[in-house]
Amino acid sequence: MSVVISGVSVLIPGADGAKALAAGPEPGAGPVEPAALVGKKGLRYKDRATQLGYCLTSAALADAGLLGEDAMAVGGDIGVVVSSNYGNLDTVVRALDTLREGTVTATSPMDLPNASSNVIASSAAIRYGLRGPNLMVCNGATSGLDAVNWAVTMITAGRVDRVLVVGVEPDNDVVRRLLGGRHAVDGGAAVVLEDAGAARARGATVRAVLGRYVRTAGVGAVLERLAASGAPAPARWQLPDATPAGVGADLLPGVERAALPEHSGRGSGALGVLQCATAVGLFDEGGWGPVFAVCGTDEDDASAGLVLLAPPAPEAV
Amino acid sequence: MLSRSIIGMGAVASTGRGVRPLFDNLCRGRTGRAELRGFDRTRFRAQHAYEVDDRPAEGRDVPARATALLIDAIGQAAADAGLGEDLSGVPILIGTGLRELRSLELWWREGTDLDDTGLHFGTALRERFNADVTHTFSNACSASLYALALGSDLLAEEGDHAPGTVVVAGVDVLTESMYGLLERVHPAPPDRVRPFDRDRTGVLMGDGAAAVVLSRDAGGRRAHARLRSVAVNCDAFHVTAPSPEGIAKAMRTAYDMAGVKPKDIDLVMLHGTGTLLNDEAEATAMADALGDAANGPLMTAIKSMTGHTSGASGLMGLVMGVTSLNEGRVPPTVGLEQPVEEAAEFRFVTGDAASASMNVAQLNAFGFGGINAVAIVEAAP
Repeated sequence: MSVVISGVSVLIPGADGAKALAAGPEPGAGPVEPAALVGKKGLRYKDRATQLGYCLTSAALADAGLLGEDAMAVGGDIGVVVSSNYGNLDTVVRALDTLREGTVTATSPMDLPNASSNVIASSAAIRYGLRGPNLMVCNGATSGLDAVNWAVTMITAGRVDRVLVVGVEPDNDVVRRLLGGRHAVDGGAAVVLEDAGAARARGATVRAVLGRYVRTAGVGAVLERLAASGAPAPARWQLPDATPAGVGADLLPGVERAALPEHSGRGSGALGVLQCATAVGLFDEGGWGPVFAVCGTDEDDASAGLVLLAPPAPEAV
Repeated sequence: MLSRSIIGMGAVASTGRGVRPLFDNLCRGRTGRAELRGFDRTRFRAQHAYEVDDRPAEGRDVPARATALLIDAIGQAAADAGLGEDLSGVPILIGTGLRELRSLELWWREGTDLDDTGLHFGTALRERFNADVTHTFSNACSASLYALALGSDLLAEEGDHAPGTVVVAGVDVLTESMYGLLERVHPAPPDRVRPFDRDRTGVLMGDGAAAVVLSRDAGGRRAHARLRSVAVNCDAFHVTAPSPEGIAKAMRTAYDMAGVKPKDIDLVMLHGTGTLLNDEAEATAMADALGDAANGPLMTAIKSMTGHTSGASGLMGLVMGVTSLNEGRVPPTVGLEQPVEEAAEFRFVTGDAASASMNVAQLNAFGFGGINAVAIVEAAP
């Protein structure tokens, strides 16, 4: 049984699709404007991460051929897994400031759902009618790849045939203070994962095939585990979020390395999904794999790695 | 048919530390309700919560209390299962509503230390247990049963990389923002948690953590119970209002996955938050899913004593429910006098703990955004 990617969306400053992301986001681009993408309706009272999540959800479902003319998902039992570490931090501190500077009656009841970190995942489900399992992953540096793997796990277990995976991080003052002045990517990516048989049955186009995932302490150990699992040698390596120490120069010698550029900011929980979208962008342009995606450096609690394979050549009719 | 052995358990809440002391206190009807311990009370209309009394000084809050409770519960469960102190390579799945957002609040307002590796629990679990396959899920109030579903899926995997043992945990402590916003939406400030009572005033938060060790086979150890199924879904209906249809669907799926009928259910550990919206919706769904068997199982809601332990609450219910199966005793729902109409025919345990011989328990947990999780456990043979 295998799991494939059948749809993708990307929204970060300077890249509005998988191919643009694979080519490298343009520096100096303006922020993503959710109202221009999905309309103003329903955006009020939603935090920026949730708004960005709406845009990514809509575009990925459309790309996978799963968005109906009524702008709702076709077939309701689609799961949702969202990865974000900074998603609702702005709501939490704003409500806290209001409380500390006044009393509880000064807070807005509209903030209640946004104070729960799963608001991005559940809001996307409500707006687009996604009734499958709904999961919010807030797992630090590896979160995006972990989210992809949990979607694969639920599909493999037979819980659901299709899962939308979103990785998104907003940028704001709280995030910048937490990151010691650096900014976050203020956008993200989404992929639609499907059981290969279910994708074939509806005639979906396979954009990438998912291979082995591992999570363990250290980038080197992740690469060793992937090699030991029988994964084919990579053609390209998507690197973790840059750190001063970087990753070891001795790792995977000769393999092309690629990373989210410094000007894009910290990918954090969005990074793993951005890496998957990059692989799809490469494969869409006729590039070949495998692509190794790795999140989390030796300074994080662990690293995760995922193998992405180019889709098989179409069978001769 | 799914069947996973539960070979280790741990728990800590305002009402006690350790599975057995906590269970005994709940059976005595002892609640952890007290005046707010860590917040400035003048900011709030509500004045009470169900907090673990572990702060170094009265009225002064400290960061990383959620992490400390989580480590306590996991340590208990790992010791109970004989896993030892080194959990490298063992998947640890944590369900939480609020992660370390209390540490974020203290960092923002009081300048305590935090960086972005301190919002999830992996960093601390690596330090304490050398754990490197850690996953923090922030799935509101159904988080720990969602984590249980994923843990059970992991054990179903095949191949050389498939784990034989998984730790599943849940944890939450009060955050000032959530405590405040929750009371903000109540017409009158909640005074105590009285699940399913007509005169209930709403929900109050509680601190707590629970953990279980799940294993593909018990390996010669006596299992506490067997996990038969965990169903998860999403109403896709409203961010704060639950849908009885979505909840009932999760219950029926859980029965189907477990291969049980409504009449087989002996005990239901209800979500029972005491909010104005949850209890009617849960009772309607429960009556729908059980059908003719609605007056069969004993039912109780331990949030009446632990408060709403948010993401921990589903697994807290499971650990207490498993202990009920093994002990033949069920803790009461304290403060429940006149059940709401939708729950009129249910066999609630009130007053004293009930004694009964039971084999199958149902555990409910529902969260903001309409995310539902329902588990079925069976007494070990």
